[in-house]
Amino acid sequence: MFSVAVRQNHCTMKKLIPIFFICLAIAGMVILISSCDKNSSESAVSPQSGQGGSMARFAITGNTLYIVSKKSLEVYNITDGADPVKTTSKNMDIGIETIFPYQNYLFIGANDGMYIYNNNSPQNPALISKYTHIQSCDPVVVQGNYAYVTLRSSTFCRGNATPSSLDVVDISNPSQPSLVHTQSMESPYGLGVQNNRLFICEGDKGLKIMDITNPKLPVEKQLLHDIPSYDVIVRNNRLIVTGSKGLFQYQFDEQNKMELLSKIPVL
Amino acid sequence: MCLTIKPFAMRQILYIFISAVVISSCISSDSEPFNERNFDGTAYRPIYVTESELNNIRISPPSELKDPGKIYISDPYLFINDRGTGVHIIDNTDPKNPVKLSFVSIISNYDIAAKGNWLYADNATDMLVFDISDPKMPKLAKRIVNAIPVNNFPPFQSVFFECVDEKKGTVINWEKVVVDKKPKCFR
Repeated sequence: MFSVAVRQNHCTMKKLIPIFFICLAIAGMVILISSCDKNSSESAVSPQSGQGGSMARFAITGNTLYIVSKKSLEVYNITDGADPVKTTSKNMDIGIETIFPYQNYLFIGANDGMYIYNNNSPQNPALISKYTHIQSCDPVVVQGNYAYVTLRSSTFCRGNATPSSLDVVDISNPSQPSLVHTQSMESPYGLGVQNNRLFICEGDKGLKIMDITNPKLPVEKQLLHDIPSYDVIVRNNRLIVTGSKGLFQYQFDEQNKMELLSKIPVL
Repeated sequence: MCLTIKPFAMRQILYIFISAVVISSCISSDSEPFNERNFDGTAYRPIYVTESELNNIRISPPSELKDPGKIYISDPYLFINDRGTGVHIIDNTDPKNPVKLSFVSIISNYDIAAKGNWLYADNATDMLVFDISDPKMPKLAKRIVNAIPVNNFPPFQSVFFECVDEKKGTVINWEKVVVDKKPKCFR
């Protein structure tokens, strides 16, 4: 808008000033309305039926059960819980690993990228885009405008040549996901996010806590070596983690103080 | 980066030549394993389960965690998968004192999801539905055969493997073995 104004002569510029402010006001309104929209859909999702970790191949939203096989997305209507009825099956490339529903989208982690499906019609999701990355194992979680994807290199997911990493992908425009940040990781498996905390399971290396006050730039705060971790669920300041030593439940606060609530050990 | 335009054609040609060499070396190192000379005497062999093994679902009293994998919460229950063997059902009403209620023994089970009275679990390529209205005594309500398509090849690239024979059952895993003869299948 400015560049347009600058090109005009002084006189027209003066005329344009009120228009500029009107535009600004409209833009502000649009932002306000859209943020309200987001909040309302977020709260609509929160009384959810259940919650899995980021490693899941099964996910439920409302009356729909999603299953990702190695090469497809299978969709079931579970209005009658005892009798799932298949509504559609979407063929995908091979190497599909995880599914994470968020608001009206499904984020599907694959060996070579992350697929985003529109979920407005839950029983017939539509592919919007695919964010492509190097070959790796890669669960994903999403909060706000950002998806956090861990890429673990292992022989299982083809080659140890590339180091493991955490990618931050801007998904504010789901049809054009774009990488905004990447940093190296040890051996990341599942991950979980809540407010300004991102938890990353680093396998037998431990559980990593990162600060995402700036959502584009996760900053490592702690690596808890004594919590080997594979999958994690974060909910209401509580953390449920599984790993080679068993299942651990923690309560955490803003100061990263982790209080162990209980554990079920591996014996 | 290598292809910045230089005033001298000779230099350009040199850069193009160098990048071509670099690129082609990448291609050849990537595709090298496709060369059958690379057979190293090992191959992947499918591990099968028979239909009766697959159908052998047992409800047991609570048991110890052995190899915990994925987790799922559906209040007040917490479900913990024990990789490849089944699901622990936990009453997590008090997270300070989770109580194990039962273990559902399911071969080749890695994934779970639950809603209300229903638990969904994979059983190799099948999906199972359990009625968990009594979580101490879940009941198998339905089996959906071939709900989860699988690949008839191991999850590795550039490897030889014994071709899958569906008559032998359902493939639940792959093991690396030493073989005398090069198998027919390769990917």
